[in-house]
Amino acid sequence: MATLEKEFEGPEEGPPGGTAVLTRDAGPVAKTVRTLGELLITAGLVVLLFVVYELYITDIFSAGKQAEASSTLDDQWAKDQQRSLHPELIDGQAFARLYIPSFGADYHFTVQEGVDEKALAIGPGHYKGTALPGEPGNVGIAGHRVSQGAPFNDLDQLSSCNAVVLETQTAFFLYRVLPHDEEMQGWATGKGATPQCKGVSTLRDPNVADGGPYNQTTGRKIVLPNRGDAVSPVPYKPADILPVAQQASLLTMTTCNPQFSARERLIVQSVLVKQWQKAPGSGYQDVLKEIGDNT
Amino acid sequence: MYGWIWRKLPGAIGVKALLAAVLVVGFVALLLFVIFPWVEPMLPFNDVSVQ
Repeated sequence: MATLEKEFEGPEEGPPGGTAVLTRDAGPVAKTVRTLGELLITAGLVVLLFVVYELYITDIFSAGKQAEASSTLDDQWAKDQQRSLHPELIDGQAFARLYIPSFGADYHFTVQEGVDEKALAIGPGHYKGTALPGEPGNVGIAGHRVSQGAPFNDLDQLSSCNAVVLETQTAFFLYRVLPHDEEMQGWATGKGATPQCKGVSTLRDPNVADGGPYNQTTGRKIVLPNRGDAVSPVPYKPADILPVAQQASLLTMTTCNPQFSARERLIVQSVLVKQWQKAPGSGYQDVLKEIGDNT
Repeated sequence: MYGWIWRKLPGAIGVKALLAAVLVVGFVALLLFVIFPWVEPMLPFNDVSVQ
């Protein structure tokens, strides 16, 4: 004890009782220890602040960018009277809007071109080169599950036949989530027969033993991050397995899984069941009415 | 470290406290607006795409 006390005492000013007291004139070791302690506490607070930043502050930043992208998109659609069928795709710029009615009638995000950090900070991003909304093939869209507005926070909550709506300048496209693996058996007579699931099939080819080209396509799947073929025209298959004319129109949404981890990806796939050309004065409210309770 | 900063701050107690608060706010702002946005892309939980 005596040696320790000596270390913490100041050179000469130690109280007569011999108790170690940190004073302003503490020795060099005491000073170092104190500074180290202060730095460690500061580091802890910085890490805590980062958690707050990640969970709340990025949401605020992203909400601003999303609002800006949304109004820019509206302006562009209103201004561009040519109504071109193929939107002009500019990196990081919004060209469509995504709605998931089961997440609430007010759930909407603009979809940006590209899946780089910058595009995803605004909202969900469209995988370059994948199909456009409504086209045969596979529309690939990635989105954050935590932070940055977390558009795909609840993606794992989507059940089969839940509606996902894509809006372009000219039309609304209604996709519905494909049956999950455990629902495939007896789909046509089971859940597949409900009004909500009208137009949603298992995509399996009954004439082929292994189910045909779409035998890997399912409503919800968890894959490794290197499965870039999740957004292939025919999911998890080579690009040339089916000619475009025979491809189903799919929508694939990807996000990280589990939450806060980069270990895996959550893949939710849905199929196009209906589309509406936009009429002047009509909007998403009319689509919602059409969908009714079958969200 | 903090004691040293406190002693270096000029003025009466009130002025010192005000300056200290400004320093803290500045540090937090530096973290939130510069350092965290720079660090964030290097962390794993924002990888949402397949490749």
